[in-house]
Amino acid sequence: MVFIRAENLSLTYTLRERPTLARRAPHLVGPGGRIEERAGRRLVRALEDVSFELKSGDRLGLVGTNGAGKTTLLKVLYGILAPTGGKVVTDGRIDALFNINLGFRREATGRRNIELRGLINGWSPEEIEARMEEIIAFSELGDFIDVPFKSYSQGMAARLAFSIATSMKPEILLMDEWIGAGDPGFQERARRRMSELAERAGIIVLASHNETLLSRVCTSRLELEGGRVKAFSQRDPEFYIGQS
Amino acid sequence: MESLKGAFDDVGSGLRMRRIWMALAQEDIGDQHRRTRLGPLWLLISYLAFAGTFIFVFQRGDSGAQNYPAYVATGLLVWLYIMETINQSITLFAREESFIKGTTLPLTVYVMRLAMQSVIRAAYALAGCIAILALSGVAFSAGWMWSLAGIVLLLVVTPAVIIVIAFLGAYFPDSQFVVSNLMRIGMFLTPVFWSYEGSGGLRHFLYYWNPFTYFLEIVRAPILTGDMAAYPFLFCLASGCLIWAIALFTLGRCRRQLVFVL
Repeated sequence: MVFIRAENLSLTYTLRERPTLARRAPHLVGPGGRIEERAGRRLVRALEDVSFELKSGDRLGLVGTNGAGKTTLLKVLYGILAPTGGKVVTDGRIDALFNINLGFRREATGRRNIELRGLINGWSPEEIEARMEEIIAFSELGDFIDVPFKSYSQGMAARLAFSIATSMKPEILLMDEWIGAGDPGFQERARRRMSELAERAGIIVLASHNETLLSRVCTSRLELEGGRVKAFSQRDPEFYIGQS
Repeated sequence: MESLKGAFDDVGSGLRMRRIWMALAQEDIGDQHRRTRLGPLWLLISYLAFAGTFIFVFQRGDSGAQNYPAYVATGLLVWLYIMETINQSITLFAREESFIKGTTLPLTVYVMRLAMQSVIRAAYALAGCIAILALSGVAFSAGWMWSLAGIVLLLVVTPAVIIVIAFLGAYFPDSQFVVSNLMRIGMFLTPVFWSYEGSGGLRHFLYYWNPFTYFLEIVRAPILTGDMAAYPFLFCLASGCLIWAIALFTLGRCRRQLVFVL
């Protein structure tokens, strides 16, 4: 049974200010949440008391202004950041679409980049081999797949990154904004592929500013403000079925 | 206790992901020589040029060693490995920042990626070292197995050294300049191309109080003498255990905070 349960999640960390002789920037801006002064230390409260529970079929939209804690929450759910309070309990394989361009090597061929990205994603050599042809076919790179990545146009590189990132079969899918790539023709296929991926996934958590997208994809909505839950609402499932 | 368990988990899962770090390390070495005709053979040529220069410049001087070419070849092999590893370690986590902030890979994967790179570089140098040993007429003996044991010990200690120095570099970025300067002068303060033959003074101090001396000797001494270098070996074994203890403690305490420090 696929599920995510976040119980009173909090994440607080110290904003480190190293003693330096170099000129310091006049104002330090934290990456998100709220900054508090305590005992001479500057603490960032990135998340505070966030709780929710998602089960198979749920699609949660994370909304909030920049710095509200959306990406931080996604990273806590994925396991990159450890919460300093509360806990996350999950059942199911978690995949994330955060930075799909991460780790591509300019000098390696497209094929080798698929292998390397696959290894980084935790795929076995058999899984990489099984997905290789499908990824190459979807990216439409043809013979270019055996040419170094650095000779690709921006669009070709984006198509390859998108094809690899979306070839997984996630049980829980975390997304920081919806992704798309390439020319208009590819964009349409990318849209279809993303919809299929979203349908296949047991649970989706999607952080986005795009209200149209959120209303199309998500069944519930969590609004964050300064790292705290401002509002949580669930949509009538029948409404969702009617929209899809 | 909890943090120590986390450190062991990180090391365990990192080692299991050997396919990733082996592949990335091979790519790293390949990338550095991708457009050259000789490729990674440049690593061998660099080593031979370095060793050759020392042998020809210092051989007739007050070197003190009986088989000076073999002495320099083995000393330089180990020293270059140590120097490369430490110099690269200090900026390791800063270089891997986007991976650390974007994936859930254990930190040991990055540590082993660097360790693997150092081993590949050293393997090319080793080919040069064996060639110099063959030409220098040093007699092969069963005692060389102790040298092999020394190399194994060096390899086992490497990830721990990388962990400690990488955290040092991440938490105290200024340390990268301290470390790179220390390693630059370390070559002259370590008996890489000079030897201690009972002379006193500064050399005596540098020879006995420089920990690098012992890591050089566990590989070099058995080749030159045919016997085990017992005291250096025990010193390296004990300091290796200590470094691993510090590394696991640091990894356990700091691995979750690292992402906020970078």
